[in-house]
Amino acid sequence: MMRSWQLMVAMFLALGGLSAVAGYEMAPPRLPQWREIAWPFPRDGWPAGRAFRCGVAECGTEVEVYFRPKLGFCNCESGVADDDEVDRVSDVDMISPRFVPLKAGDVLRVADMPGRVRAYDVDGNRAAIGIAVSHRCDLMAVAAQGSGDAAQVQRATLKFLESREIRTWMIAAMEGR
Amino acid sequence: MVACQERVFGRQYRRASVPRSQRRLAWEFGVVRMGGRVTAVCCVFFFVLLANAAGARQQKIGDPPEASNMRLVGTSDLQARSAYQPTIHHQGDRWIAYIGHHGGTDDIPDPVNPMTGKPEPNGTSIVDVTDPAHPKYLRHIPGQEGKYESGGAQMVRICDGKDLPKGDRNAVYMLRTFGSEAHEIWNVADPANPVLITRIGGLKDTHKNFWECDTGIAYLVSGAPDWRTRRMTQIYDLSDPAQPRKIRDFGLPGQEPGATGAVPTELHGPISTGPQGNRVYFGYGTNKGGFLQIVDRDKLLNGPKEPTPDNLKFPEIARMPLSAMNGAHTVFPMPGMPIAEFAHDKDGKTRDIVMIVDEAIQNECGEARQMVWFADVTTEARPMLISSYTVPEASGAFCERGGRFGSHSSNESMAPVYYKKLAFIAFFNAGVRALDIRDPYHPREVGYFIPSITAATDKRCVTIGDKERCKVAIQTNNVETDERGFIYAVDRANTGLHILELTGAARAVAGLP
Repeated sequence: MMRSWQLMVAMFLALGGLSAVAGYEMAPPRLPQWREIAWPFPRDGWPAGRAFRCGVAECGTEVEVYFRPKLGFCNCESGVADDDEVDRVSDVDMISPRFVPLKAGDVLRVADMPGRVRAYDVDGNRAAIGIAVSHRCDLMAVAAQGSGDAAQVQRATLKFLESREIRTWMIAAMEGR
Repeated sequence: MVACQERVFGRQYRRASVPRSQRRLAWEFGVVRMGGRVTAVCCVFFFVLLANAAGARQQKIGDPPEASNMRLVGTSDLQARSAYQPTIHHQGDRWIAYIGHHGGTDDIPDPVNPMTGKPEPNGTSIVDVTDPAHPKYLRHIPGQEGKYESGGAQMVRICDGKDLPKGDRNAVYMLRTFGSEAHEIWNVADPANPVLITRIGGLKDTHKNFWECDTGIAYLVSGAPDWRTRRMTQIYDLSDPAQPRKIRDFGLPGQEPGATGAVPTELHGPISTGPQGNRVYFGYGTNKGGFLQIVDRDKLLNGPKEPTPDNLKFPEIARMPLSAMNGAHTVFPMPGMPIAEFAHDKDGKTRDIVMIVDEAIQNECGEARQMVWFADVTTEARPMLISSYTVPEASGAFCERGGRFGSHSSNESMAPVYYKKLAFIAFFNAGVRALDIRDPYHPREVGYFIPSITAATDKRCVTIGDKERCKVAIQTNNVETDERGFIYAVDRANTGLHILELTGAARAVAGLP
């Protein structure tokens, strides 16, 4: 009786261990650690949004992302029409008023909202990206900056924006859409 | 309310099982003595009372208008089209109202024109208001297909051909926007049969133009395709409306083609004081980051025209920023206002004043309050805000009525009947407000009129959680006056045109009999 009990425990532990190993191997890679930080910009016409930072160790380069809804700020019919609009509304100017686009932007979707993304050089020594996506007449403005190259900053930012927590928050912030 | 009722009745139910001492206390308050019936009656009473109070805040079809020192003279339903700028023109022995429209709605993109029996995209309504008690709808000129601000023909200005330096003396010219893509000039000498003269197209947006009738210079709010903003200024010589001649593009440094970095707030609209005043006042922003820009007209028209940052800065005299939470829809100049309070002062007896009107854009107070500001621009390089005006929200529980609450625009007529004495402000669900501005340091409301809603009045919705909650309320959008003293208020939510006149103390301010 005693031996069978020990056998059951051993089997249970062995199965548990195997499950844990399998779970670890099959689990999606963990997102780099993003820490929420205080909104770093002075008050302007729009309420403050949310800001996050990811360190070199986690993201390969230090990246900060800022996003906030701008309700009633978008052309209700055409949405985010062109790169000029990204320059104008994405909040990159809060990082610095001296930003220069690196190239034409691209279309993208964030939290199922269509829009555009564009990469910039800021103050000649940093990379930034601006994203503007819209739903009806409302806009979600995203700006990010980092010390790495723009592609690296953009990759880290887009991956973060696709996380479930951020998607959920954005949808709620756009008043449920 | 239902939740409150349930909560109260739930509390009453629980009281039946409380200890005797507590029940005694409750008995003393007369709650348990009647087996809870008193509480129930009280709850129902308060429920009905509060429900009525809440209902009173919302307009219902059949409710009378709310008014003080203003009276309704006549109405036109404007074919239930969302209305923006009215311009009233004395044309021969007639008075004609030209009214621009926003695009259609989701529910009715192209309302039917009863005169043709056909659905037509919202454009321009032409209404004979010679007898303001019986306005006669003459013609609808369709605008650009599109809904809300994406279509229609919202802006309209009128000049007589005899006033324009090279105009046809028999013509009356109507400058209007065509949605977001063009400006058009029509001959409306026969207002029932307008004829298209000119079109300036290829734009990505348009808005609130200004046209000097004595010179023909027009400041067209446009979206030139290569500029980095939706709205800047294209200045044209329209002294001969059949032959428009472009003078220059104008905007803020940073908006011009090829610029990089931050893009300044887009233009809303200018008003010029012409060659005599030699100033053009530009209002930038809608409900955020707005400012007033004071520009030397002569330098603007005759200075270097290539859109470089230096050339764009050249004609600017001053810029006065508003709070980041406010924009500038209308900037209405009133130079040389005598201020009674300063009459005995050695200096500064008269002041140059600009009235700045923000535009509310969010329904049910979903933004900072948009209101009216007065700036003293006597020392032009140092303009200063001196006073403000808003409708007190509590005077009508306007945040709960539905739709927008806040200012949008003012009358722009400089006819002597009201100029520098009274200003009329369109305040969305608070109707039109009459301000005594004779002392712009202390503007004072002297009258108001909130029109009734009709079956045509469109709903306005907000999202609560994941559901839309809609209310119907008047949305007085724009207002204009004529030389006779009639006030023309139009509704953004499709209720039409309301022609008003002043009564009582407000009428006395204007010196009207």
